[in-house]
Amino acid sequence: MKIIKPLEELRKINRKNYHPIINHIHKKHKISRKTLFYIKEYGSHSNVPKTIIKESIKIVLFASILSTIGGFGLEYIKSIFISIIPLLILLPTLNDLIGDYGAIASSKFSIMLYENKINKKWWLNKELRKLFAQILILSIITAICSSILALIISKYVGYSLNASFAMKIIALTLLDVVLITAILFLVVIIAGIHFYNKKEDPNNFLIPITTSIADFGNMVILSFLVILFF
Amino acid sequence: MTIFDKTFKEILIFQIISILGGLIVGTILAVYTDKIFIIPSMLIIIPGILQMRENISGSFASRLSSGLFLKVIKPNKTQTKIIKGNLYASFFLAILTSLMIGLIAFFFNYLFTHTILFKIIMIPLIAGIIANTIEIPLTLFTTLYLFKKGYDPNNIMGPFVTSTGDIISILSILITMMII
Repeated sequence: MKIIKPLEELRKINRKNYHPIINHIHKKHKISRKTLFYIKEYGSHSNVPKTIIKESIKIVLFASILSTIGGFGLEYIKSIFISIIPLLILLPTLNDLIGDYGAIASSKFSIMLYENKINKKWWLNKELRKLFAQILILSIITAICSSILALIISKYVGYSLNASFAMKIIALTLLDVVLITAILFLVVIIAGIHFYNKKEDPNNFLIPITTSIADFGNMVILSFLVILFF
Repeated sequence: MTIFDKTFKEILIFQIISILGGLIVGTILAVYTDKIFIIPSMLIIIPGILQMRENISGSFASRLSSGLFLKVIKPNKTQTKIIKGNLYASFFLAILTSLMIGLIAFFFNYLFTHTILFKIIMIPLIAGIIANTIEIPLTLFTTLYLFKKGYDPNNIMGPFVTSTGDIISILSILITMMII
């Protein structure tokens, strides 16, 4: 494996320094500059925990603050919210679903960036369009399934339901999941390109951003819809 | 452009697992409503704690996946500088975030109710330590295992981290409430 030796050399270079070897490996072995960037970012001369903590700490703390602020909305309507059992059962699922789509979009988009597949006209990228279509269809299917399951569980634990109430829960869930998933996808693209151009690992930023927006947005929209519907 | 491909099916299967995980946690919340929500600010703490697993374990899995695909990380070697570094960083971030969630909830509880309840700080801190002690190593070994088996961890680890993380986190909160 002729490529291993130059990659090992690259790993030994201080992560803050640019080195002509990147250009050399890129041209000779046709490896994306972004791939080489990842290898250098976590090379032998970099302090891995320090690099991760330094890059992640602000965004992780920001995400936590945003998420807890989102919780205030629900704390404010606590008595109504915990009395609507299907919504209480759905809360972790909704946070999960939306957060998952954000995480999947983030990690896949990060790899696309590292593999140099994203150019200025990102909206024309077929792979990205396909990913968006897949996530949107999945969000619709999973929103309907989860709300129906939550209604069944609610009925099972003794909560009385009627058709109109059940339709409200399904509509509320669908609206919530699809809306925030679409917003998240756009945030992933814009933030991903931004951090990547700043020569930072997008993995360290995108997931905290998307999950916090997912949680915050979910709780704010949920609080709003609860007030509106109930 | 085939939308309903292997990736679609992989994501759908693991999202269904994620839904089931979330519904289990939701059912626990519904069943223990009178115990969990008796402590003020729990609706502030719980989303923060549940979200943390994805910020920390999700990013951890994503970094590992990128490293595995780029062949910087070898799936059979766990005692490497890059993996150890990732583990230390993830634990540190988990503890700091848990403390931050507790402090924010404490502050807002004091602001609105004028009562000093140190439990509000201790619950997320202890629950965060317990949950991440299980969740972070679980994320590492599952990512490496999935990659070795030929799956794309990016499609699976998000839902896996959230569903296992939710259950582990909510059980950690219940255990912590029993302890203190």
